[in-house]
Amino acid sequence: MPRGLAAALLAPLLLLLGLGFLAPLLALLATAVRDPELAATLPGTRAELVAWDGQGLPGEGAFAALARESTAALADRRLGPLTARLNFSEPGLRAALLRVARAGGRLSAPFADSVPALDQRWADPATWQALAAARGPLTSLYLLRALDLTPGAAGIEAVPADLALFRELFARTLWVSLLVTLACILLAYPLAALIAGLRPPWSGIVTAMVLVPFWSSVLVRSTAWFALLAREGPVNEALLAAGLIAEPLQMLGTRAAVLVATIHVLLPVAVLPLLAVMLRLDPRLPRAAASLGAGPWLRFWRIWLPLTLPGVAAGGALVFLLAIGFYITPALLGGERDQLIAWFIAQFLNRDVNWGMAAALSVWLLALAGAVLALAGLLAGDAWRARR
Amino acid sequence: MKAWLGALVALVFGAGVIGASPLAARDLTIVAGGGALQDHMRRTLFGTFGAPVVDTAYDYNVGPIRAMVQARNITWDVVMVEAPDLIRGCEDGVFERIDWSVVNRAKFSAGGTNECGAGAIGWGVSVFWDRNRHPAGPANFQEFWDVQRFPGRRTLRRGARMTLEIALMGDGVPAAEVYRLLATPAGQARAFAALDRLRPNLHFWTGGQQPIELVNNGEVAFAVGFVGRTANAIRGGAAYELRWPTLLYAFDYWAVVRGSPNAAAGMRLIEHITNPAPLLELTKVWPVNPVTEAVANDSDVRARNPLMMTNHQAGGLQIDTEFWLEHGPALEQRFAAWLNR
Repeated sequence: MPRGLAAALLAPLLLLLGLGFLAPLLALLATAVRDPELAATLPGTRAELVAWDGQGLPGEGAFAALARESTAALADRRLGPLTARLNFSEPGLRAALLRVARAGGRLSAPFADSVPALDQRWADPATWQALAAARGPLTSLYLLRALDLTPGAAGIEAVPADLALFRELFARTLWVSLLVTLACILLAYPLAALIAGLRPPWSGIVTAMVLVPFWSSVLVRSTAWFALLAREGPVNEALLAAGLIAEPLQMLGTRAAVLVATIHVLLPVAVLPLLAVMLRLDPRLPRAAASLGAGPWLRFWRIWLPLTLPGVAAGGALVFLLAIGFYITPALLGGERDQLIAWFIAQFLNRDVNWGMAAALSVWLLALAGAVLALAGLLAGDAWRARR
Repeated sequence: MKAWLGALVALVFGAGVIGASPLAARDLTIVAGGGALQDHMRRTLFGTFGAPVVDTAYDYNVGPIRAMVQARNITWDVVMVEAPDLIRGCEDGVFERIDWSVVNRAKFSAGGTNECGAGAIGWGVSVFWDRNRHPAGPANFQEFWDVQRFPGRRTLRRGARMTLEIALMGDGVPAAEVYRLLATPAGQARAFAALDRLRPNLHFWTGGQQPIELVNNGEVAFAVGFVGRTANAIRGGAAYELRWPTLLYAFDYWAVVRGSPNAAAGMRLIEHITNPAPLLELTKVWPVNPVTEAVANDSDVRARNPLMMTNHQAGGLQIDTEFWLEHGPALEQRFAAWLNR
């Protein structure tokens, strides 16, 4: 194939990857560290704050610029992003800023007196320091807050205990994803081996039984589990009828329900790569091993397992990456302590409209997933090399 | 042959890129919360406008609307938004200022209009339970907290808004003091302590239909849920006991998305759907709480709809929008952290 034609055929794919994958990823990373609101809304005030030394209160110029620019921004309806940004780092700043903005032209010089007279918070150096911390253009606020840290006056500090949330969430997400991945691999391996050993038409039938649920949406399957595990649902009724329990079990809103449903939803994803690898396995190799005196366990451990390891790696990686971003199933079936990080990313994106936090959480999630996969790849690579 | 194939591929790709240009005029699109209420609104409000109106539903998340405005690709014209989203969106220039020369401002109840919003409906939450499963139930929030007298699981909304006010009232704070106290660190600690006490018996819901489902299948004994849905279930025959003294309410507003090509038509649509005539038709099929003064105070309507919220608003607590705009992010984070402990 002439090189020009090959390049032309590749071009759409590279364009798609670039526009659809790399560009959004870079935009996400940028959103997590950018701090444009103060510069965009109150440029003069920002300039004064850049020149300020951070001690005590800034000069008359800063107060005057604040009064003038905030009024103009409110009239132009541009003040919102800044009030949200400041209120996020320092609750209470929104009201303080709005009060100055709404005062309009009624304030008169010297502003260093009239502005604090309007709202006492402007006489507090901490308020001005919070404003100065937002001068941008880059900030570590979102990335730190996503790990329950905050850029305090004396360097990086931990967020107060009753606000600390995300580190535990990341740990929980990692733990649930690893559990689900392990369970899916353990369940999918024998299933794929079974299908690989069947002759048509049975191989096709069993494969279809695995694939058909895969073709219905995640939401449908999660809702089905909701109906199954309800207090008056079929599972409880069957257990009661069989006399195994006296009272209906509380299954909804538990970690177990989330795990069972997630494993069920992601099992086909683990089966398919394993099946693909096992089907390509040369059946003469285990037979040769048997003819050389290897028992079943040895055939499995020394022949089957090493040859299917790429399938295990592929299936495991797919399941892990999907599980780490799951939020429909935990939202429907889990209790309050079962929510995973993706739910909060969606909350920040849709409800709170705090794209900085959503991006920061996503960045750490991406880093976590990348780290786990790199680690797994290293370990698998070492094990592979050791075997040879 | 191969060169010809390559040229064909390039041609198809290029045509695809050119052909995918944004479409021309689209119909006026109105967006609300969906469900049976929107089906009735389609018939009584949107359908009677005269010009074609397309309606669709959303889940009150305004993120997509902001994205639309930023990308300057507006696909929604008129949206029903909650009060905090409206005020924030107005400040951020996400919604157009209402054209009061087209929409008659005088016809709305007090507090029913905003720079960028015209009152759509009132909504609220209150305590309810299934009378067949539990003949007796809590009359107020203090009794809601009393698990000795009224044993059984309870359900509240998963979120700080409304739940923290309820927690303070459950701890004995009178409704008039709630927001003053909740603005202080001591008040917030008190609210979370009250939630801690009830926690073993507490389940949280996220979707509006969940309180009804949970009460129906016996997962919870007493629920706090949307009065509109509860009232509609009662009219449909459910044996629910609705406790009006426990009402918390707020208003939703119609807003026009900024930069919409159908903004002018959107204003005319808002004027139409907030007029007494179409709203009276709507009140015949749904106990909605309209913000148009004439309909809200119409004695026939109030008599016909004992379950209409306007009949019971006097004893309820109006949710303070400014409070939640101010303290919302911090309190929601604190609530989420509390929930995960």
